[in-house]
Amino acid sequence: MHLSCLKKQTGVIVLCLVANLLFCQTKKVALNFNYMFGKNRLVLNDSTYQLERNNTIKFESLKFYISNIELLENDVSIFKEKKSYHLLDADSIYKIISLTLSSKLKFNKLKFNLGIDSVTNVSGALGGDLDPTKGMYWTWQSGYINFKLEGKSSLSTHQKKEFQLHLGGYVYPLNTLQAIILPIGTQNKITVLFDLQQFINKVDLSKQHHIMSPSAEAMHLSKLASTCFKVE
Amino acid sequence: MKKLFFCLVIVLILAFKGEGDLFFIPKYWPKPLYNFSNNPITKQKVFLGRVLFYDPQLSKDNKISCASCHSQYSAFTHIDHALSHGIHDSVGTRNSPALMNLAWQNLFMWDGAINNLDVQALAPISHPAEMGSNIIEVVKKLNASKYYRELFYKAYGDSIATGEKTLKAFSQFLVTIVSANSKYDKVMRKEETFTKQEENGYSLFKKDCTSCHKEPLFTTNNFANNGLPVDTFLNDFGRIKITNNANDSLKFKIPTLRNIEFTFPYMHDGRFKKLSEVLNHYTNGIQKTKTLSPELQQPIILKSNEKVDLIAFLLTLTDKEFIFDKKFSYPKHN
Repeated sequence: MHLSCLKKQTGVIVLCLVANLLFCQTKKVALNFNYMFGKNRLVLNDSTYQLERNNTIKFESLKFYISNIELLENDVSIFKEKKSYHLLDADSIYKIISLTLSSKLKFNKLKFNLGIDSVTNVSGALGGDLDPTKGMYWTWQSGYINFKLEGKSSLSTHQKKEFQLHLGGYVYPLNTLQAIILPIGTQNKITVLFDLQQFINKVDLSKQHHIMSPSAEAMHLSKLASTCFKVE
Repeated sequence: MKKLFFCLVIVLILAFKGEGDLFFIPKYWPKPLYNFSNNPITKQKVFLGRVLFYDPQLSKDNKISCASCHSQYSAFTHIDHALSHGIHDSVGTRNSPALMNLAWQNLFMWDGAINNLDVQALAPISHPAEMGSNIIEVVKKLNASKYYRELFYKAYGDSIATGEKTLKAFSQFLVTIVSANSKYDKVMRKEETFTKQEENGYSLFKKDCTSCHKEPLFTTNNFANNGLPVDTFLNDFGRIKITNNANDSLKFKIPTLRNIEFTFPYMHDGRFKKLSEVLNHYTNGIQKTKTLSPELQQPIILKSNEKVDLIAFLLTLTDKEFIFDKKFSYPKHN
């Protein structure tokens, strides 16, 4: 390569960097989720929790999808994550969702969906977090499981005291997708808490220990789950 | 440079010609419903899908493949079995549907439980009375096989199998299973002519059957209650199970009539062995319930000689080239 050519190239790169600094500075906002049982971090499998009237409960699995993450300023959307589908698993708490946006942008609300939208539900085989091998896709009736909670409780009337709540359904009037909006500051690290105690206290496991298809109960529990998020 | 461009054009023409051989839209057929832009057809992916379709390793006990209940010589259904059966000789609750022209369908299964061809294979793979496995196990088995790693590499440029890639390869093979070369098709293309009896049968068909079994696919893809009494052992009420809508009680998917000669027994539970029984149901067996198809509210009247003519027409929907096409048969390892 000629020296002049090299100089020219270096010049272009420097110019680009300067332009980038002046006009398109970006920042990263890290979003992560913590799973709580009341004031304590949720522990799967090993911890037995007390419920009302001396009942006990043990959780084996908590997984759910969040999708279409947005940041809002005064209810106006200023950032939308592209291809925004994330499977969250209480078993792996270190998943951080990194959002890259212009550093000038200010925001005061976080918006996301609990679950997968109807268009994606009818879009065939998808990859990444949406791959059916993730165990969050129904096989006998097409559709994503938006929210999955499994475990054992003395309250369950099932013979093995098990409970399996698989909440999903994308067709009206049993569309379980929930939009969630939480107030936040313009911060670079957002931690969202999901309080399972708040959820399970309102579920009657003696009646609802197995939900495996779209239904009115699945609708009701999806709405309930959507109220259990808050920003730390 | 010019030479290079010329070569490129030739390569492109050959490539497209190759894929045209794999999937084509017959003349006068409607636009397919399958979204090809999400899963463009290639020879290597179709082949991978074909190998998967014929592979019994996909089942829990390595004995049942898709082809076990969808064999080519019976237009990809399970001949002589009213209800499909799977691993450990377990018996299902419905008659396995014949597979053909799947790119022109948008809902699958007798009750439309499956909303996209890509995710159809999940159902039989996971059903305890069919293949008794699951997609996680299947992908594990594929990744453990040298042969499949090679096939995935050829198809996707990456030897690692995923759920998405496996399911899309299935769709690739399934959409190529097109039946459009029956005598009926040849008559429509003016290459052959109907006999007098077939012609008479065709007129009767257009009068009494076509509103649900619409040409050229011989289905509207809708769901209908065709007046079958409920089997009190199976207690199958069809589409209502999926939609929870009372208006869908006793409705089942309207099947295509193409290759009907080979797809017996008939109906969602395989209750009729012969075409004459099917016609007798429509003339004499309709049970009136709230959701009965509007087309069947008035009785269909056919004399016995008319039934014979109608059957003669239905037999013109047989596509022997399809039944014996080597493109769809058991793939030899190469």
